[in-house]
Amino acid sequence: MFDQYLIRKDSLYNVVEDGKVTGFKFAVRIADYRGCFLSLHNGYYINCDGVEYPRELQRFEINGKPPRTFEEIKTCVWEHWNYDDEGWVYVTKEGGLAPGKHVIGLQQSILAQYGYMPWDEEWVKNPPVPGSGAGSGKTAAICQFELELQE
Amino acid sequence: MGIKRGVSLYSYQQTQFFKKMDWKDMIREVHDNLKTDGIEIIDEATIRDYPFPSEQFIYDFRNYMARYNMKAVTMDIYLDVHQFRDHVMNHREAAERLKSDIRLAAKLGFANVRPLCLVPIDVIEMALPTAEKYNVRMGKEIHAPLPIFKGNKEQPKSGMASALDFRMAEQILELADRTGSKHVGLIPDFGIFQHSPSQVAIDYAKRHAKNPEVIDWILENSRDYTLDEMPVILDEKFPGHGLDGGTIERMSLHEMSGNPEDLKKIIPYIVSMHGKFYQMTEIPGKPGQYEDKAIDYETPMRILRENGYEGYIDSEYEGQRDQQDMGYENLPDEVEEVRRHHEMLKRLSEG
Repeated sequence: MFDQYLIRKDSLYNVVEDGKVTGFKFAVRIADYRGCFLSLHNGYYINCDGVEYPRELQRFEINGKPPRTFEEIKTCVWEHWNYDDEGWVYVTKEGGLAPGKHVIGLQQSILAQYGYMPWDEEWVKNPPVPGSGAGSGKTAAICQFELELQE
Repeated sequence: MGIKRGVSLYSYQQTQFFKKMDWKDMIREVHDNLKTDGIEIIDEATIRDYPFPSEQFIYDFRNYMARYNMKAVTMDIYLDVHQFRDHVMNHREAAERLKSDIRLAAKLGFANVRPLCLVPIDVIEMALPTAEKYNVRMGKEIHAPLPIFKGNKEQPKSGMASALDFRMAEQILELADRTGSKHVGLIPDFGIFQHSPSQVAIDYAKRHAKNPEVIDWILENSRDYTLDEMPVILDEKFPGHGLDGGTIERMSLHEMSGNPEDLKKIIPYIVSMHGKFYQMTEIPGKPGQYEDKAIDYETPMRILRENGYEGYIDSEYEGQRDQQDMGYENLPDEVEEVRRHHEMLKRLSEG
């Protein structure tokens, strides 16, 4: 769902923290027709210009709070990501991205379900690593975006 | 009386996503243009800050519904068993979510909630006293690939169908009869009367298949293989075809999962219905009249009419998601699709 619209086209920026460029960020929406308990959000498969950036290098900003790692997000069991709201994905990459166009492949992982499934206990112990399609919610494809770095 | 028409705001999910309409605009569309009063919502799409909306939101929702004299028919509710992440929610916890949703539905003025077909029957039973107390009926969804009654059907061992219990409707009837409660029943979805893949789903599958001919082969041969056999034969005939199980399952559809005749036995238990559809096209030779070519509406609507069903059928448009891999200019018009659906619902309700 919303394959071509999961990342806002004009939202790719470098991230500056304490005067240093520490990575890049872009704005995303939920790949579903409903919001979710924030704890269910399990990170992204991100491939930027052929380089993969695993979940450990990602943070997520939502609900007016500073960017949080997905280990922190996992504990937000009473907080909700509203369907209408945009979140920001922060990716750690020393020096950030060069000016110009970049190609990003993205798959969002949200462990939303319609009830009990055979893999439930396994997912508590070993949550799916985003990218395989497992836990990808309503958009299983890795969606491709060509984005211009914004000033 | 007769069959009543409503809309699940699910139908306008794309319009909401792009912020072209909010829930108030949707309610006015139903009132002003569809000339009817039934409103169904997805809790986590419409209710700001679910499950703890502000008092202001609740008042605003009830007030807006009252302003246009609308009927809050059904609130669709969910069961995300991984919410706590450090353990799989147990059945007592699942019942707590269901009870919380029932209380929320009551606050918003809804007559019914719709728990999903995968919610275990003991969870429904644990929540029944709460449903009684708040006078909210629980309608468990009969969603494809479920039948209404299992009959002689074999339960598949793979895909979504393997996780569902084909005796679900019987369990609900048994619970309702044993307790004598009017607060538990069923919400059949017209998706159980879908007999073939919709054109929009076929087109999506072909755009994303390595070899679109495999899709054609499935469409031509799906009658000859069971759901368990199909992936095996595809691997043999088209090694490395790359199609996922969900796509194979959708493209293999060749018969309705529900038998419309079975509706007769469950009408007293129907809380409301979902009018699932994917694409409304004009009926050849009948300008201004529309149909969904993949779903039989005529037969079940006739049976509902002849057997005195007087509840709501709420439109549930779902074809948009198969067209969101293309540019803005290719996105379907949800408002128009639902208007066409209501042309059909109105015509078939009158017989």
